[in-house]
Amino acid sequence: MKKLLVLILLAALVVAMAPATLSAQEEVNLVMGSWRVDDVAQMEALIAAFEEKYPHIRITFDPTNPPDYNATLQSQFETGTAPDLMYLRSFSVARQLYNQGFLADISDLPGLSEAFSDQALSVWRTEDGVQYGVPFIAVSHGVYYNVDLFNELGIEVPETWEELLAAAQTLKDNGYDGFANASGDPWTIAEIVFMNIAPTFIGGYEGRMAYLNGERCFNDEHAVAAFQAVADLAPYFPADQQALTYYDSQQIFLMGEAGMWLGGSWDIPFFESEEPDFEWSVFAVPAPEGQEEEYVTFHLDAGMGMNAATEHPEEARLFLEWMTTAEFAELFANLLPGFFPLNQQAPEIENEHAAAFIALNEGRGLDVRWAWEGLLDGSPDGYTLMQDNAIAVLNGTITPQEAADNLQAGLAQWFEPAQNCPAG
Amino acid sequence: MMAVLEHSLRALGFAGDWQAPRRRAWALFLIPALAVYTIFMAYPLLNSLRLSFYTGVGLRPTEFVGLQNYQQLLTNPLWKDRFFNALGNTFIFFGIHMAVQNTLGLLFATLLAQTTLFGRNLYRSVIFIPATMSVLLTAFLWRLILNPRWGMLKALFEEIGHPEWFHSWLGDEKWALVAVSLVSSWQWVGLPTMMFLAGLINIPDELTEAARVDGASAFQIWLRIKLPLLRPVIGIVAILTFIGNFNAFDVVYAMMGANGPPNYSTDILGTFFYRTAIAGEHPVARPDMGIGAAVATVTFVILMSGVVLWLLWSRGKGDEGAVL
Repeated sequence: MKKLLVLILLAALVVAMAPATLSAQEEVNLVMGSWRVDDVAQMEALIAAFEEKYPHIRITFDPTNPPDYNATLQSQFETGTAPDLMYLRSFSVARQLYNQGFLADISDLPGLSEAFSDQALSVWRTEDGVQYGVPFIAVSHGVYYNVDLFNELGIEVPETWEELLAAAQTLKDNGYDGFANASGDPWTIAEIVFMNIAPTFIGGYEGRMAYLNGERCFNDEHAVAAFQAVADLAPYFPADQQALTYYDSQQIFLMGEAGMWLGGSWDIPFFESEEPDFEWSVFAVPAPEGQEEEYVTFHLDAGMGMNAATEHPEEARLFLEWMTTAEFAELFANLLPGFFPLNQQAPEIENEHAAAFIALNEGRGLDVRWAWEGLLDGSPDGYTLMQDNAIAVLNGTITPQEAADNLQAGLAQWFEPAQNCPAG
Repeated sequence: MMAVLEHSLRALGFAGDWQAPRRRAWALFLIPALAVYTIFMAYPLLNSLRLSFYTGVGLRPTEFVGLQNYQQLLTNPLWKDRFFNALGNTFIFFGIHMAVQNTLGLLFATLLAQTTLFGRNLYRSVIFIPATMSVLLTAFLWRLILNPRWGMLKALFEEIGHPEWFHSWLGDEKWALVAVSLVSSWQWVGLPTMMFLAGLINIPDELTEAARVDGASAFQIWLRIKLPLLRPVIGIVAILTFIGNFNAFDVVYAMMGANGPPNYSTDILGTFFYRTAIAGEHPVARPDMGIGAAVATVTFVILMSGVVLWLLWSRGKGDEGAVL
C-alpha cells in the first residue's frame, strides 16, 4: 500500500514536471497558412510578439497566392502536409474543411465568448455549435472621397442617396468622374460596388436573413432597389469603364480625376503609400431619403483554424488563445490598418484613415457581404449571379427588375428557401 | 553489367545470327523514349480520362459517376452555355491566328527570303523579338497601349487629329476577343515566319531559275512553284497553331483575367478549364476536378480529331517527310 502511494506520488511529480522541462528544452515549430501574401512583414512582426511571450514556439508564416489558396489548402490536407494553423475563409468554404475532418474542434478555447460577438463566432461554427475557427479579420466598405475636390466644388458629404447622386452629378458637370469604379475586373463590381451598397437597400442583417429563410424572394422590391442603385450610379462611372481594371480605378481616384471611389478598407495602406496630393477620407453609403437606418458592409473575412492532425496541438492552441486577447487586437489593428480585428473591445487605432473607417460602424447596422452566407453552396452561386447581373445593369443591357429575376431564377435552381417564389 | 553489354552487342548484330536480334535492337533504342513517354504523357492522359468519370471534392475525386460529368457539361445550361461559348471563342481565336499570324508569317518569310533585301537580318530579329518576350509582359504592354483612359494608341490618334479612330476594344464584347487574338498573333508571328523562311530557303534554286528562264514572273514563281513546295510546312504550321490555340490560356489570363471579361467574351477553353478544374469560381474557389477532366478530355478529342484529319489528308497527298 505504501509502495503504491509512493508510486502514485512519483508519477504525479513526473507528470507535473514534464511540460516545464519540455518547454525549456524543445523548440516547437509551427507553420501558419494564409492567402495574405501582401502581409508577410506585418504578420512576422505580430508573430514575433507572440514568440516573445512563448520563446519555445516558432511560427513560420507561409502564405499562398489568394486565388489558389482554397485548392492548395484542400490538397495539403489530403496529402497530410497542411500547416498547423491556417487562415479560414468565412462561412461554407471553411465549414466544408471542418466537415471533412481536417479542422480541430476548439469550442472549449478560453476567452472566445468574452472576446467575440455571437454573430462573429457563428461564422466559423457549425449548426450544432462546434467552433472550429477564431474570428480574426474583418474588412469594411464605404465611399472614399477626395476631400479637397469636395471643398473646391462646394460639395457636402452626402447624407442621403439622392445627395450622393447629386454630388456625383456636380463632379460630372465639372469634368470629373463621379466614381472611379469600373468593371474591367468583374469581382470589383460584386464586392466593392454591389455588395457595398446592397445592405442599405435590403435592410442589412435582418433583411438578408429574410432572404436566407425564405421570407423574401430574391426578386422582391428590395433586391430590385439594390440593382436599381447600381443603375443610378452607372452614369457617373468613367467612360469605357468596361476596359478599366481595379488598378486603373485606383489610379483614377489617386490622380484626382474622380471625386469618389466605392471601396474597401484594405486599400488604405496602398492609398497612403501612393501619397496623393490631396486629402481623402471615407463616408458610409447613405440611405435613400426617408429611410432612417443606415448600414455598413463590415465583412467577416478571415478566421484562424487549427489542423486537427497537428503534431503540436497545445502550442497551436496557445496562439489561438492569444488571438482572443486585447493585446493581440491592438497589435494587429495597428500593424495592418484597414484590416480590423473582431475583438468586441475595439482597440485604439492610430491610423487616421482606418480609424475613420471603423468610426462609420457607430450607429449603423453591420452585415457581411450578401452572397457569402448560404448562397455559395450550389451552382449557379449567388456571387456570380450578383456579379454578372450587376455588371449587365451597369452596362445598361438589362433592367434592375430583370437582374433581380435572374438572381431569383438562378438561386431557385438549388437554394431551397428560394424555391417557393414565383419565377422571374 | 557485362551481360547487358554483351546482350547489347549481340543485339546490335556483332555476334551470331544478326537478322532476328537486329529487330530487337530497335526495341532497345525505343525503350527509354517509350518509358518516358508512358510515364509523363500516356499515364497522365489516361488518368485524366479516368478522372472525368468521377466526382467529389479535392484532388482525388472518389465517387464514380460514369458519364454524368459529360452529360452535365453538354446538357446542363449552367455548364453548357459557358462551355460552348468558350469553344466558339477558341475557334475564333484559332481563325484569327490562321488568318493574321500565319498569313503575315508567310508574307514576311517571302520578303526575308529575298537575298537582295536591305537589312534582312535586322528585320528578321525585329519580327522574332516579340516571341522571346514573356506573355505577361506583352499582355501588360498591350493593355497599356489599348487602355481607353491613358493608352498610347488613344493619345496617338488624338495627336494626329482622329480621336474617333480609337475604340475601347478591350471593353467591347464584340471586339475584345479580336484584340486579344491580334496581340497573341503579334507576339508569335516570328515562329511561322522562321518556319516558312526555312522552307523557302530549302527550295532548290534550279527550280526557280528554270522557271525564270521560261519567262515566269516573280509572282508566278511564288504562286506556282514556291507555294506548292511549301505546302507541307504550311500544314505543319497550321497544325501547330491549332494545337497551340486550343491549349492557349496565358494570353487571355494575363490580359483579361480568368473570367474572360467583358461578359465571358474572351473566355476560351484554356481559361474555362482553369476555372473549372484548377481555380474554381471566385470566391468559392472550389475546383471540380471531375468536370475539369471532362473538359480536358473533350479538348483532347477535338485536338486529336484535328490532327488525325490532317494526317490522313497529308498522307493522301504524300507529304509526309517532306522538308521538315
